[in-house]
Amino acid sequence: MKIDKMSFEESIKKLEEIVKELEDENISLEESMEKFELGIKLSSNCLKKLNEAEGRIEELTRSEDGKLVTKELDLDKDS
Amino acid sequence: MKDSITLKSKIYTVSELNLEIRKSLEKDYSLIWVEGEVSNFYFHDKKHMYFDLKDERSKIKVVMFQSNNKNLVFDIEEGLHILINGYISVFEKRGEYQVVALDARPVGKGSLILAFEQLKERLEKKGYFDRIYKKDIPILPAKIGVATSIGGAVIRDIIQVLKHRFENFHLIIRDVNVQGTTSSDEICEAIDDLCQYGVDVIILARGGGSLEDLWAFNTEKLAKKIFNCPTPLISAIGHETDYTISDFVSDMRAATPSVAGQLVILSKIEAVEKIKDLNKRMAHLIYSKIAILKKETNFIVRKRIFIKPGTLLNRFNQPALEFYDKLIGNMKEIIRIRQEKISTYRQLMDKKNIFKKIYIYKMTIRNIDARMISAVKNYLNLSKGKLRMILENLREKNPVAVIDRGFAIIYKAEGDKSIRSINEVNIDQKIRIILRDGILNAKIFDKIYKKLELGSNNEN
Repeated sequence: MKIDKMSFEESIKKLEEIVKELEDENISLEESMEKFELGIKLSSNCLKKLNEAEGRIEELTRSEDGKLVTKELDLDKDS
Repeated sequence: MKDSITLKSKIYTVSELNLEIRKSLEKDYSLIWVEGEVSNFYFHDKKHMYFDLKDERSKIKVVMFQSNNKNLVFDIEEGLHILINGYISVFEKRGEYQVVALDARPVGKGSLILAFEQLKERLEKKGYFDRIYKKDIPILPAKIGVATSIGGAVIRDIIQVLKHRFENFHLIIRDVNVQGTTSSDEICEAIDDLCQYGVDVIILARGGGSLEDLWAFNTEKLAKKIFNCPTPLISAIGHETDYTISDFVSDMRAATPSVAGQLVILSKIEAVEKIKDLNKRMAHLIYSKIAILKKETNFIVRKRIFIKPGTLLNRFNQPALEFYDKLIGNMKEIIRIRQEKISTYRQLMDKKNIFKKIYIYKMTIRNIDARMISAVKNYLNLSKGKLRMILENLREKNPVAVIDRGFAIIYKAEGDKSIRSINEVNIDQKIRIILRDGILNAKIFDKIYKKLELGSNNEN
């Protein structure tokens, strides 16, 4: 699976696995380097996903014709 | 009988008596409270309830019509101790009386507590609370759905917690009444809408309150909706000590709405820290691995073979050469033996094949021989028979044979033409008569016309 298609959960889980694998002393240097490289890519994907979401608060209602619509909600103004 | 009736005694008909009793009973018992244990409970078509109410010594029939029992929050069931409010009604036609119950409540505990317990037990038996049905709550949901009252403090608490943990969260709020008769239906609808719109997790949230206040979250309809909800759902109702049916059915219970805010999304700071920590560990592991390998390489490099490789080579060279020669010699011998074997086998194989072929041809030829001989024999036999027939035939038709049987052939004196009719000769004409043993020369002296009776060929 392409790393940028992986969810945050999948990425961090895989990253944790890689760290565990690197702890194995029998792993070859070449393999270690490959895993290290993958690990770095996964961690940057995790950070990317963390910042990807857009901060928004919306209210879900139904329009007159019954369709689901959202509108921005400012609770501080209301209260 | 007549003796015991005084003139003043009134004689009722059965109908009259039942009517009187009815009037009297319905007047005197128009509003009563009666308490007892339910038995022989019968819920006809889930409409009207029929049962007996009894104590140690006696029992009475009770009916509770649909219009009255539809408002009951708890289930009336066998053995339940209840208090009934109603009146006595007489069924004149059969002379029977019963209590018509207008309302009922459990004795010993509140109706709502009993209803809650009954529903919880029923759903638990059906497996609604089983761990295997609980879905995982995502740790970084892109969209968080909340069904709650927008006017309340609860949503503000949740937002506060969320902001603290993860400033760029995306919240979709569906406004519902969290109290009142329509509340339960509204929450069910909100769950459907949030699922349809597409959120990664749903929070049902409401502040604390009495059991009655929280009642919307204790209905069977909402329990079923939550159980069948495809989106992971967190139930965050009331205070830490409040428990609702939706808490049990949901995928996760949050003790309070604020706790739901903590459970629904990871803390960004913590997540970033964790990722950094994992990166550090990876780097450290790689560096230490390299350091170990460096050390090992150094150790190996310092060994004699790398410093003076020639000496070591010489030491192993001689035996290696000898061994090599021996190996080649052995190999050659093995190849030679194998080759010999192969050629022997090949010869053997060829011979075998030829013999086999010869045998097959021989057999074929023998077979053809036999068939030919029998064909020729058949042909000869057939021919012999035919020949015999031809000869017989020939013998029969031979004029000589006819003469043999006593006939004669008559010719004119000159020429070879035989005479077949007396018209061919005249009186005094000379003729020759051929017999078996010679010829008679004769002369015609008379002609007599007479049809030969035996002959069939004779013309004239």
